[in-house]
Parts: sequence; structure tokens; C-alpha cells
Amino acid sequence: MPNVLIVDDSSTMRKIISRSLRQAGLAVDEIFEAGDGVEGLNVLGSKSVDLILSDINMPNMDGLEFIKQVRANGNSVPIVMITTEGGEDIIKEAISSGASDSIKKPFTPDQLNQKLGGML
Amino acid sequence: MTLNMAVADSIHLTEAEMAKYVIDAAKEIFSTMVMINIEDCFPLTESVTKFHCSITSMVGLVGTYTGILSIHCPQSLAMKITSNMLGMDVDEVGEDVNDALGEIANMLGGHVKMVLSKGGLDINISIPTVIAGEDYTINSMSESDCVVVPFITEGERFLVGLKLKKE
Repeated sequence: MPNVLIVDDSSTMRKIISRSLRQAGLAVDEIFEAGDGVEGLNVLGSKSVDLILSDINMPNMDGLEFIKQVRANGNSVPIVMITTEGGEDIIKEAISSGASDSIKKPFTPDQLNQKLGGML
Repeated sequence: MTLNMAVADSIHLTEAEMAKYVIDAAKEIFSTMVMINIEDCFPLTESVTKFHCSITSMVGLVGTYTGILSIHCPQSLAMKITSNMLGMDVDEVGEDVNDALGEIANMLGGHVKMVLSKGGLDINISIPTVIAGEDYTINSMSESDCVVVPFITEGERFLVGLKLKKE
């Protein structure tokens, strides 16, 4: 089963996303967590990850820079932004940087299932 | 306590209409992320600046509009909210409560940003700041240019404040 990396500076949100993945009935093996883009890159350096769910607004390294770094490292893993930053231009920038899709907070497990079902 | 005139003119919204955005966003966030239903009792009839055994979380908005979105919540309610969000009992105000209330402010701030910004690149939202204490005062809540929406849930009241200016 696939492994998922959740990158969000809120530990509460990481737990909600993790719980929602299980509640949505998505087939997930291990769930790794990172508090910002820097921590996310460190996880990717040591773990095999099949899907990344990332916030945009984070300290140290935000989600947009994180996507660019992941792609610059030659990693093509799907990245879905889960964010309050739902503005059209920000999402366009995220997609052009290499994100696959976006999910707006707040979300329900069903919405996660609809967006992620085809990726897991 | 009112919406800044220049902001209202620019976004073509009255104070009540802006409050409605905040109310709808808060209800959606609480029903989906906190699993608690909340009811608004807008408008606030009295000025509230002093808080007792409370927690305040806030995010800043910086760009074409600047301001602060803040949530002021009794600590007892903040612990219930955090317990629901985490799916575990939380009986003290600490990192978990700070993080949960900060994330709610972040989500509400994101909704407000969507009202103010068409594309999302002209306004930035800060990382949440959280304070808690036995007795403290938030002066900005009494000033003009601040829309305050009271909410009731679980028999307790919390406030959402939105102070905005146009740059």
C-alpha cells in the first residue's frame, strides 16, 4: 500500500488529515509528517513516499518553494496542496510549480476521497 | 465597531455582509473540522476588550488590505474544540490548544482573504499567533474599523474580530 507524507505547520491539521485519510477508506500504509518544507525534504531523503499532501503557508520553507525543491530533486511524486490559500493565482502558481491538484480547508473525508481516490 | 469605510467601498460590502462571510465560513469550519455546530448572535451589542481565562488566536493580513483576524475564546471551550479536532481528551491549555485555535484562525483568515483578494497573491497571511491568560486586554477590539461577530456553542460564547484597513 502507498505511503503518504503530510506537510503542514499545524500538528492539529496533520492529525485531522491523517484521520480523514483513514475515515475516507483510502488505502494508505505509512503516514509521515513534516512541519514545513525543510522537514518535508528531509523525510523525502530517507523515506519512500507515493503521495504528498502539503500546506502552502508555512514557516521556514512554504509549500510553493517545497514543490519547486521536490521537482528540482527529480522527484515526480504527486503533490496535492491542502490549504486555506484558495486564490486562483496561488493555485495556478502551485500547479505550474509541479503540484497535481489542490484541496481547500476545511474539507470532509468524502472530499479527500474524491480528490485522492485516483492517486492512491 | 464597524467595517472600515474605505474597505467597504472598495469591496462593495456592508458591515453586515462582511459579517455574513465570517459567519458562513466559521460555521463551515466548525461543522467540518471541529464537529460542533455554532450559532452567531451578530451584532455584538457591547464593547468587549477584557478577557478572563481566555485564549486569543490571530493571523495578520498584509497586502492591498492589512488587518488582523482574531478569535477570542474561553479556555474551557478552547479545550473542547481542541478535543474534538484531535479526537482525544484535552484538559489543559498548552501546545495542542494553541495549535488548534491558531489553525482555526488560519482557516478563517483564508476565507476572509478570498473575499478581499481575487487571485490570492496580493495579500499574505501570517503564521498564527496565540496568547492565553487569566486576565488580559485586547485594545483593537474597541477601536473603529473592527467587525466583531459573537458565536454561541456548548453554552459558551466566543468572538471573532476582523480589523481591516485598505492600503
